[in-house]
Amino acid sequence: MVMPPSTGRQEAEALARSVPAERYNRVVRLAQAIFGAPIAALNLIGNDSQFTVASVGFPKGEMPAADSVCHITVQQDQVLEVRDLREDERFAAIPAVIGPPRVRFYAGVPVRGQSGQNIGALCILDLAPRTLGRQQREMLADLGALLEHELAVQEEMDLAGQVQQLMLPTSAPDIAGVEIAGRVQPAREAGGDYFDWFVVNDPDGAGKRLQVVLGDVMGKGLAASLIASEVRAVLRGHSRYTDVGDAVVRTSTTTRHDLEANNRFSTLWVGRLDPITGALDYVDAGHGLAIIASQRGYRRLFQEYLPLGMPIEDTWARASDVLAEDELLVVVSDGVFDVLDDSFEEAETRLQTILDPGLSCRQIVDRIVDFAVSHAATDDVTALAVRRAARAGLDRTSQEPAHATTRS
Amino acid sequence: MSFEEVDEGTHVVLAPEGKFNLVAAPPLKTRIDDLVAAGKARLVVDLHAVDFIDSSGLGALVGGLKSARQQGGDLRIAAAGDQVLAVLKLTNLDRILVPYATVEEALHDW
Repeated sequence: MVMPPSTGRQEAEALARSVPAERYNRVVRLAQAIFGAPIAALNLIGNDSQFTVASVGFPKGEMPAADSVCHITVQQDQVLEVRDLREDERFAAIPAVIGPPRVRFYAGVPVRGQSGQNIGALCILDLAPRTLGRQQREMLADLGALLEHELAVQEEMDLAGQVQQLMLPTSAPDIAGVEIAGRVQPAREAGGDYFDWFVVNDPDGAGKRLQVVLGDVMGKGLAASLIASEVRAVLRGHSRYTDVGDAVVRTSTTTRHDLEANNRFSTLWVGRLDPITGALDYVDAGHGLAIIASQRGYRRLFQEYLPLGMPIEDTWARASDVLAEDELLVVVSDGVFDVLDDSFEEAETRLQTILDPGLSCRQIVDRIVDFAVSHAATDDVTALAVRRAARAGLDRTSQEPAHATTRS
Repeated sequence: MSFEEVDEGTHVVLAPEGKFNLVAAPPLKTRIDDLVAAGKARLVVDLHAVDFIDSSGLGALVGGLKSARQQGGDLRIAAAGDQVLAVLKLTNLDRILVPYATVEEALHDW
């Protein structure tokens, strides 16, 4: 049987691939225990497949939708109960009935997705024919509603993560002479870490500058990501009209109420680079994790300022450095630093692995983020790498697409 | 994570242990707010048994400091380990949360 594609089936396909199964296992186990059935499962019905995303007594995985009972359940709005599958011509010949586990009884409740269409079913199966009482049918429907809610929460979180991802810069900045890449790996669907880059006109009228930002709002998840979006947007706005120090001061003033009301604070590292001369203005608002490195060694670009959102207002002002043509500017979040035991000595031992001149900035941020993730980082993890690309007349931005990913 | 609490009359000592993170921070922050609301705004957080703090833990300390000061009190930290000191220094939060070596030193003018 070929089913026409529908919004619900597309949604089920997407969810089946993003769903962390633990989230639904509890409800499935509950169903199994309440009904005393050997098998309980949450099945999502995609375009051609059924995805068993949570189950007891039945393997998780994918099978042809046509071989399932749930693909009929999703086409109706109420509980589907089949006393004996062998006696129902729709199901008598499906593999799970004629072969192991040779199920006989089925009851399933359709589960709706965000689109309003059914995307799957919560079902219980037994090896002997049986019937449900009225109360039991209601209870199955209640459990289905519970799962619907869980799925809705998951979808909202996924969407929030997508929105945050789409706010990251995805293309090379419109300025010659730099190579840049950044990557965020949130601990959850969305998070408090972000990076940003954009071109501003220098307020002194001296030409275009590349502004790079790495921000980290305290905490994780959706709540932190909302605050991060605000800080990002406010800093972008102020940065158009003034130098980096003043832009951070104004961003603090503008976001103060929202940071305080939510008991959040945000560290920020903001740099503004002239790719032609390498002149780099920067502000470090309690971030502390920016370095300029080369084969000759490394230096930290840090200041004594507080993060934004502290009980006392600080007086952020820019400092200056120069990024030489053979040097690399690297900014990371504390999620990276944590896996290095919060130690610069430890970080220094890892530095050589990113200083190979043959590596692109994209490869460098991948190395940093992959290293942190593989060392069981529990926090959001972010890395940003920038270098001047004028050397040997090679404009690497035109060859190397900018890189911005979340949840690879 | 649990935390110990000792009311010394003039001040209260709270001692969290283990990982002071997103899971552990909210209960401690709630307790600090309750204590401050009950008029006990001189607080010492004894960190000797904390082996890891993240930004959520820092957030609870800063938030607690804010509530305590609003009520005319203070929140001080004592006996922080290496990781806690490193994170405080990194974020420059040691400027407002001065780490005292011991609980006794934190009490110096109370």
